[in-house]
Amino acid sequence: MSATMSANPFPLGKDELLQAYRTMRTIREFEERLHVDFAKGDIPGFVHLYAGEEACATGIMMHLNDNDRIASTHRGHGHCIAKGVDVHAMMAEIYGRSTGACRGKGGSMHIADLSKGMMGANGILGAGAPLICGAALAAKVRGDRGVGITFVGDGASNQGTFLESLNLAAVWNLPVVFVVENNGYAESTAMEWAVSCDSYVDRATGFGMPGVTVDGTDFFAVYEAAGEIIRRARDGGGPALLECNMVRFYGHFEGDAQTYRAKGELESIRASRDCLTILSERVIEAGVIGRDELQAVDREVGALIEDAVRAAKAAPLPVAEDLLRDVYVAY
Amino acid sequence: MAPVVGIVANPVSARDIRRVVANATSLQIADRANILLRVLAALRACGVQDVLMMPENGGIRAHVERGVMRAKSRGEDIYPSLHPVAMPVTGTVADTHRATVEMRRAGVAALVVLGGDGTHRAVAADCGTVPIAGISTGTNNAFPEHREPTITGLATGLAVTGRVPPHIAFAANKRIDVSLINGANGGAVTDLALVDVALVTERYIGARALWRTENFRELYVTFADPEVIGMSAIAGLLEPVGRDESGGLMVRLSADGDGAGEGRRGTTTLHAPIAPGMMARVGVTDWRRMPADVAFVPEVAAGSIALDGERELSFTERDRLSLTLRDGAFRTVNVAAVMRHAGQNRLLTATPVPATAF
Repeated sequence: MSATMSANPFPLGKDELLQAYRTMRTIREFEERLHVDFAKGDIPGFVHLYAGEEACATGIMMHLNDNDRIASTHRGHGHCIAKGVDVHAMMAEIYGRSTGACRGKGGSMHIADLSKGMMGANGILGAGAPLICGAALAAKVRGDRGVGITFVGDGASNQGTFLESLNLAAVWNLPVVFVVENNGYAESTAMEWAVSCDSYVDRATGFGMPGVTVDGTDFFAVYEAAGEIIRRARDGGGPALLECNMVRFYGHFEGDAQTYRAKGELESIRASRDCLTILSERVIEAGVIGRDELQAVDREVGALIEDAVRAAKAAPLPVAEDLLRDVYVAY
Repeated sequence: MAPVVGIVANPVSARDIRRVVANATSLQIADRANILLRVLAALRACGVQDVLMMPENGGIRAHVERGVMRAKSRGEDIYPSLHPVAMPVTGTVADTHRATVEMRRAGVAALVVLGGDGTHRAVAADCGTVPIAGISTGTNNAFPEHREPTITGLATGLAVTGRVPPHIAFAANKRIDVSLINGANGGAVTDLALVDVALVTERYIGARALWRTENFRELYVTFADPEVIGMSAIAGLLEPVGRDESGGLMVRLSADGDGAGEGRRGTTTLHAPIAPGMMARVGVTDWRRMPADVAFVPEVAAGSIALDGERELSFTERDRLSLTLRDGAFRTVNVAAVMRHAGQNRLLTATPVPATAF
């Protein structure tokens, strides 16, 4: 235990802070493990890792409930975990096993769990935005105060689907939050080469909705801003855009040599912009949570991920008959 | 040799949560570039041939260069030559500090600054005796005066080319120095504010902006202007203090106007515009003048320190905090005085005109 525990200065209680840390650590461990296992050739398909970006998903999702919907991206593991999707089911899905969240037929880029409001990761860039407009319209018609969050990368924000969705959400005053996860690179292209208006807030302004930029590596900055934006949407205030400036610790995809980065860039961002380190140092310094308590969470999470991998590897693969299962949905 | 002017333009001001909790403006990058083109044209009209610019990757420079290129392609020679400062771009406030230092070393005669109070604070920290000409592109913007940027550029050009006497062209400004000694390790942090230091009970930085008035406890301002918005407006609506007079104002605030704030009874409730379009009830306990060069030790034991409207530092019961207002801390271009002088002395007429001509 730390020597002295002080009055909590944060907008969250100790249990909630520990939960935030646990979520972020789970995402980090999940991704670090995939990084290793993918390199060994254990994982079929493709993976895009969310490591380094954990504060964004966690700070936003802590304001949501299972009734709220999210539409994710190709880099969706963090969104899934933060939204409450079962880690074992996720790992099994990525390993292509029949115990997976989509019975092993979706893989990394199509993990979904509607019971948690997770409408799916999405291999099509910018495709989540129109989907979330539909979910938000449904919530508005039902009047259940549900909100929809869609995530988009800085590159996919140039897609027509995203821009059309901004317009639709604005004219229909939908309870949607468009989150731009700006990690600086659209695959390998830096945003200043590819985004004509240079600012995502400007883009929102052009569609008549407010936009806000926060440091996406600062959990508290994301949490506070997201809270206000989501409350506004829930209360009928309409859509808004939230840009989170963040960093990714791995390449666009596993195997990306990242030759587009400056020399020393990765080492620098890992040293100075690691959102997990920033959060943990802040709560320890404030005397709210002891380092040993965080280490205990680390051990729990480590065991969870290890067990998820073990279970995934032991689970059966889908069989040929599964190809025709889950193709159609009955309403 | 013609004077060189430096330009610091921040592409990331006016992006915070006040666009959601209030109706703050979102000045677009293209508009910021347009402002710069107006300033550049005015500078050139006054004879300024060269301008140093802070490099950034937010888009302003690219739009400005496009505008300059288009003018050239039409055969118009209306802008000075632009020279980006050779420095790495981090996309943080460190760029503003670095660019200011580099421009000062390069001997610029003035610094034109586009941004909010935060950007101006960063420039003021490093500008030394180089005067600042501020242009508001931020959120609350108590420090930079609101006017058409062409006029700011014109006044800056007239001032740096020596056509207006320095005692008219430049004005002295105040600041508040903040000293925070960490009670745990003895480490010291110093910072400054150009307009206001607010102490609030929130002990985390988070989204930075101030809008939860129930958390406001103490306010220190260099000037109290009832015509601005933000924290300075609170002081300005109690007892106006001019930019050009010595000292400032200290205001003690409570959780509400009915005296429910941590044992302190508010004497009144003030309705103040604390953000664009955001009128809020603020509990006021009392207020007093804040003389220059006198260290104030706040009563608030723990919380956050907001500098010019944004939470920047947090402190605990163990830390030691003191605030000291300084007169004559840095200089600005006195745009109103310059333009009045220009009119009275017909500086922009082609030929001398008698004072009573008509």
